[in-house]
Amino acid sequence: MAGPDRVVAVRGRPAVIRYVVRRLLLAVPTLAGIVVLVFCLLHLAPGSPVSALGAESGRRVSGRAAIEMRRLYGLDRPLPERFGKWISRVVRLDLGESFVDRRPVGERIREALPYTLTLNGLALFLTLAIAIPLGVEAGGRPESVFDRISGAALFALYSTPSFWAALLLQTLFSVKLRWLPLYGVSSDPEAAGMPGLLDRLAHLALPVVCLTYGSLAFYARLVRAGVAEARSADYVLAARARGLSRREALWKHAFRNALLPLITLLGLVLPGLLSGSVIIERIFAWPGLGRLYFDSILSRDYPVVLALSLIGAVATLAVTLAADIAYAVADPRVRDGTGP
Amino acid sequence: MKKPGRLVLLVCLAAACRVNEAPKPPAVVRTAPAAAPTAIPEPVLGYIDESNKGLPADGGLIRRRLIGEPGTLNAVLQSGLPEQQVLQYLSRNLLDFDSRMNLVAGLAERYEVTPGGREVRLTLRADAVWEDGSPVTSRDAVFTIRRIVDPAVPSPLFKPVFETLASVEATGPRSFVAKFREPDAAHAMAFVLPLLPEKRYAGKNFLKARENRAPVSDGPYRFVSWKAQDSLVLERNPRYFGPRPHFDRVVFRILPENSVAYQAVLTGDLDETSIDESLKQQAARDPEYGRCCRAVEYYNLDYSYIALNSRAPFFSDARVRRAVTMLLDRGSIVRNLYRGSARIISGPWAPDSPAYDASISPLPFDPAGAAKLLDEAGWKDTNGNGTRDRAGREFEFELLVSAGSNIGRQIDEMLSAELARVGVKARVRPLEWASFVERIDGGNFEAASLAWSASDPNPDPFPYWHSSQWPPRGLNSGYYGNPEADRLMEEARREMKEEARVRIYHRLHAIFRDDAPAVFVTNASAKYAFRREIGGLVTSPLGFSGIWPGPIGWWRSGGAPR
Repeated sequence: MAGPDRVVAVRGRPAVIRYVVRRLLLAVPTLAGIVVLVFCLLHLAPGSPVSALGAESGRRVSGRAAIEMRRLYGLDRPLPERFGKWISRVVRLDLGESFVDRRPVGERIREALPYTLTLNGLALFLTLAIAIPLGVEAGGRPESVFDRISGAALFALYSTPSFWAALLLQTLFSVKLRWLPLYGVSSDPEAAGMPGLLDRLAHLALPVVCLTYGSLAFYARLVRAGVAEARSADYVLAARARGLSRREALWKHAFRNALLPLITLLGLVLPGLLSGSVIIERIFAWPGLGRLYFDSILSRDYPVVLALSLIGAVATLAVTLAADIAYAVADPRVRDGTGP
Repeated sequence: MKKPGRLVLLVCLAAACRVNEAPKPPAVVRTAPAAAPTAIPEPVLGYIDESNKGLPADGGLIRRRLIGEPGTLNAVLQSGLPEQQVLQYLSRNLLDFDSRMNLVAGLAERYEVTPGGREVRLTLRADAVWEDGSPVTSRDAVFTIRRIVDPAVPSPLFKPVFETLASVEATGPRSFVAKFREPDAAHAMAFVLPLLPEKRYAGKNFLKARENRAPVSDGPYRFVSWKAQDSLVLERNPRYFGPRPHFDRVVFRILPENSVAYQAVLTGDLDETSIDESLKQQAARDPEYGRCCRAVEYYNLDYSYIALNSRAPFFSDARVRRAVTMLLDRGSIVRNLYRGSARIISGPWAPDSPAYDASISPLPFDPAGAAKLLDEAGWKDTNGNGTRDRAGREFEFELLVSAGSNIGRQIDEMLSAELARVGVKARVRPLEWASFVERIDGGNFEAASLAWSASDPNPDPFPYWHSSQWPPRGLNSGYYGNPEADRLMEEARREMKEEARVRIYHRLHAIFRDDAPAVFVTNASAKYAFRREIGGLVTSPLGFSGIWPGPIGWWRSGGAPR
């Protein structure tokens, strides 16, 4: 088995490299297109950092102060000049300074990133930990009572709006039962060591649940479909014939095949880990990227919005590129351009 | 034209402004003693003064709420409410307002406005120090004011009040004089102004200095920490020259959602939050709320109005503007949208403003009378399509509203329905805040629902209604212009005698009611939820944060400090 495989790999390598180079070169104009589009959309949208001031206090800025501020932010310059300035800084990996607090944009993003990654990472992990067993079990016996009940329950959860669920969970677990903290990332004053860790986990509980329950249906039904299709395939029947238990046949053989589309999907979901959920982060006062992005759009903090859009675009491009390359390595028809 | 009065305002103020010595505000309504635990508290309307009520306990911390992240803690650069709320603890103002809206001493022990109202002289207290022990000097004051007027410094809050500043010079180590190009009775109010330490900013980029996020205090508290989008912590400043405040520490939690903040007050995670009308209703039904918390409600100087653009073909005629006012059922708004906690206004001030003349009654809700006015102005349905028209132009307009304002939207829908009944089409169009403000400031609208928010008690209508303030220069976005009103507004600025100035404002009030440059809607109450343990509240038309000592005079009564 190994011999012919190796031959194919060695012969395939130049083709793969050519393909990767081609895809990389294609990614450059795509990225440039995204950057120009986001820059133009943002700067041509109505409103400005000056008119956005006072969203909380309802105060407006007088004429002269407004003119001075526009000059200070460089908003009196023509759009191509502003774009040139911004892009020349970006290529030197300088994301600029926030209009709101004048700190480097990179610093603001670095502060918020760990919170969003923790929250979204845990939620994704929990989603998979629940959705995969549910999906395999339901797919193993399609149309069974378990399949129908779990399906109905998952769709009910899927259609429950998260802001509403968040407020209900807060009322129950934080206000009535007092088991979990209402909002924030840690208590004040912050505890150290084990109690501190437990405190942080307690603060994570409700937002993680809110981010998890809605996406369960999505993954569980995907796994279920794959397993249901594979369970009657010859190799699963053969495994059963070899004396494997139903469970072993399902997990080791049917599920493994159902895993492939799941991995593809996860690849596309990963850049989303960076984006954060605006609604959940606002309700739980979570200092993450979702809130930073949202607040920055409202205050027309152009440098922050551009930086976050750029990071999202690069992450998405990188993941799709990686997926394309992985396909090309796995499937010669893709790299040869004769693909299915 | 009346000559400005030759009155020298020389005000010497008691050097010590004691935290517990705030004078009593008008129409004091004292809160009921802590009610039985299960009783649902009645909202307190009117002004409360609990500064001498109960036994103040020292120590512990108070947890306050910020609705958003402050952009800076540089007093000059501040632009919003969160910044103002935090800085009040860290920076004393040169002058302050008391709960009756009088100017009182702060860092400055006395001030003097020269005849003609072009110069203000201030003298600083001898014992005022920064937290590092160095004295607060006139050099700091001059530095701060020069930064405000510096074109390279964005200071949206203070630039307007120093717009006509000619010069500011130190006249001694503790005294300085500010000269203005134009006389204005309100110049002294510009000095409700925190200072920055000149030495700490020397040689630094003013916009990016480390002190902007870790400010140097001359107030009752000093800065400890700031976690982005999460919290800010302050502690008592041992070097503060004034009386010792009650709490050891102040924790601000940044919490954007109102409904969550309300729940946080229930759990004790917060000691206070502002609430809206719907949360107030929810609180009234919740026995748990009654056990731990109380509602505090008072009227401030804010009011809502619907600006009508005189450049739109319909609204250039005062009869049409009056007709629109007469089509808005403000009585129903007060009863149904605000459940009684709002007051109808007839001019561009809240009823508690000295400029407001209570004898000028609002135009009535009168659809028949309004229809007659529209007929008189030539707007009739000549083509029988159900909409009034004149010279081929249909009476159809867009009514803008900020998307965040639920009540504003409801008011607009009410007006639109009533207009439809007399043959006028108004399309309500919600816009996101920044886009909304851009349309308003540019004068690029037909009608728009706005709220006016007061940062000081100065009732001067000049920046909003004088014809020299049309866009893009000023904030008279609806292009209102009336030569008689213009003259009176100019006269009021030059009139240094309080009583005479109020008489001018009252004359203006009558003109505004009849000219109806906008539909003046209501002055609604401000509403807060407080933990019952928090004592020492003093409310005023300027709210909690607009007066001294405001929240710094609060304490936690009964029970051990947390």
